[in-house]
Amino acid sequence: MRFTEFLTEAEVRRTHEASLEVLETVGVLAHFAPAREVFRRHGCTVDDETGLVRFPAAVVERYRKMAPPSFTFRGRDPQFDRTIPDDGPIVVTGSSAPNVVDPVTGVERRATSADIANIAHLINELPGFDVFSISTLADDAPEGQFSLSRFYPALKNCLKPVRSNTPNMDDLHQVVELGQIIAGGAEAYAERPIINHHYCPMVSPLTMDVDSTEAVMWLTEQGLPVYTTVVPNAGLTSPMTLMGTLVVGNAEFLAITVFQQMVKEGTPIIYASLPTVADMRTGAYAPGAIETGVLLAAQAQMARFYGVPSGGYIGLTNAHSNDAQAGFETGMNTLLGVAAGATLLNMGGLFSSLMAFDFGKAVVDNEIALMDKRAYRGLEFSEENLALEEIAAVGPGGSYMGRNHTKARMKTTAVLPRLANRDMRAQWEEAGRPSIHERAMDEARRILAQPNGAVWDAALDTAIRQRFPGLVAGDAKPLEG
Amino acid sequence: MTDADHFDKLKQAIIDQDEDEVLDAVNAALADGIGAKTVIDQGLLPGLNVIGEQFEDEEIFLPELMQAALAFQAAMTILEPKIKEEGTAGEKKGVVVLGTVKGDLHSIGKNILKLLYETSGFEAYDLGIDVDLFSFINKAKEVDADIIAISALLTTTLVGQRDVIDALKDAGERDKYKVLVGGGATTKEWAESIGADGWAATAYEAVTLSTSLVS
Repeated sequence: MRFTEFLTEAEVRRTHEASLEVLETVGVLAHFAPAREVFRRHGCTVDDETGLVRFPAAVVERYRKMAPPSFTFRGRDPQFDRTIPDDGPIVVTGSSAPNVVDPVTGVERRATSADIANIAHLINELPGFDVFSISTLADDAPEGQFSLSRFYPALKNCLKPVRSNTPNMDDLHQVVELGQIIAGGAEAYAERPIINHHYCPMVSPLTMDVDSTEAVMWLTEQGLPVYTTVVPNAGLTSPMTLMGTLVVGNAEFLAITVFQQMVKEGTPIIYASLPTVADMRTGAYAPGAIETGVLLAAQAQMARFYGVPSGGYIGLTNAHSNDAQAGFETGMNTLLGVAAGATLLNMGGLFSSLMAFDFGKAVVDNEIALMDKRAYRGLEFSEENLALEEIAAVGPGGSYMGRNHTKARMKTTAVLPRLANRDMRAQWEEAGRPSIHERAMDEARRILAQPNGAVWDAALDTAIRQRFPGLVAGDAKPLEG
Repeated sequence: MTDADHFDKLKQAIIDQDEDEVLDAVNAALADGIGAKTVIDQGLLPGLNVIGEQFEDEEIFLPELMQAALAFQAAMTILEPKIKEEGTAGEKKGVVVLGTVKGDLHSIGKNILKLLYETSGFEAYDLGIDVDLFSFINKAKEVDADIIAISALLTTTLVGQRDVIDALKDAGERDKYKVLVGGGATTKEWAESIGADGWAATAYEAVTLSTSLVS
């Protein structure tokens, strides 16, 4: 398949050179002193008074080339492990929304660990999703268990790779310890680390924070899987041109990538971003705007130049319900990303610019994800697929309907949607004119009414609860009402 | 092998949508002295009933339904002459004349309908495509049809369905036949507006509807 490319080869090269120029002349503010030490030791110029780090081009070139070409997400069940780009595009839920649209009342409220358990069960069952990035926060978290109250219900109810972040080192250590108990010890965990860490240490423009940088540095030292997302926002934290925003984001990507390679050479990374153009009428954040798709497509092209996997938060929406806006913002942007060769799509389940998770939206996004994956498969050109023998066998005026050739391919050639309506109008009216949201909620209820086979055994659960007393229940339950 | 074993094999062969398996099972049953009519009633039709249920539940798709029906049709080429010899021909459910309306050359849906009519115990006379209204009426008279089923895929040819109904009315013969309309261009509202006796979205529904209309 040939990917959609907005930039010529010369333009890609110039974008790279421009990013090097920014890193060398403008530099990056690094607030975490140990990170500045890493930069200094590896050839960057550091001003400790201001925290400014400048990167000689040769240093950037040397270290960015150490980044390997793939990144692996691991789940509790190895059959769900996914490596990009080869297994791509892989679809990840949107993450860390404070709220949930209550699946029974339809009213938005603070999300809890019980919601996370249900969402984990749902994502485990929906075939379009590959990675569960913990969708919400847990408002019911006991004191000192902010992150445990998210990771415990997520891991307990989902065999697919689980991804998220932590706000501080204490939480990070707790979460890794949880992973080690699940794995059966520190050694087993080092072999198969099933928690996939993600942070945004780069704060646009061109700044590295303290807490996330510390987490990324520690995880990289430990050899545990961690990747980062850069988040330029044109008009606010990057220039009001798509190219200027691409350059800022690209320079930030290079800075954090070089940092991780300096900490440990050969550390797997992803070129991930959430690039936006702010709505200058109000300053509103607009992650569902089409410019995000265009920027992510250009970034996928830059990632190919660097030989690293790419993707990011694509297909988010500003919409507050499962309406046409929610559909076209998710659909158009993810398709643009896929057509451009992005193989990581952080797209599922969130409304209101990452503010609220919705069960129906997650089910709709599952279907969009399946369509995106089908688009990525393309035409599957082969001599066999030209089907010349079959065309001759059926002949003019014949029918392909009852043929073995058709039967053998009828479930794989096309996506068979569960939600998209293909009835005639009369049938749809007879069914009470169900909306896409109603059909999606029916599907969510159907899935959550079934027992969750992903839950681990009682002995493991006891061991976890003994180590972390007072832990939330973390059990998925059928949706009532 | 007991008769019951033969019936299980016949039924399973249809469920497997395997023409060779069906023909082998039919020949084996006949060789063991089971009557052709019994082969159909106790072996093949129970298999088709399962296929019908699986299709309605979306366990199997249209190509699989078609293959089961085609396997049944292949078996009938062996069984029909035997039934005549035996003199055991049972009651037909009904007689249907079907075709695609004048000006319309689309046949696939109509062909599926014909196949399903035949496998459901109807005697079906397929007039093919581009059928003018008199051909429908004359054939219906000739075979003493219960049902005239008219397909249209093109919106521009829809009126041909109304023409048949109007011509039947003019001839004073509207009540002699049930007229069903279907095809991609039709809707339930259209069927009601032209005074048809029924409309179905799919071939499978059309046969179910026809069965209830003639019983």
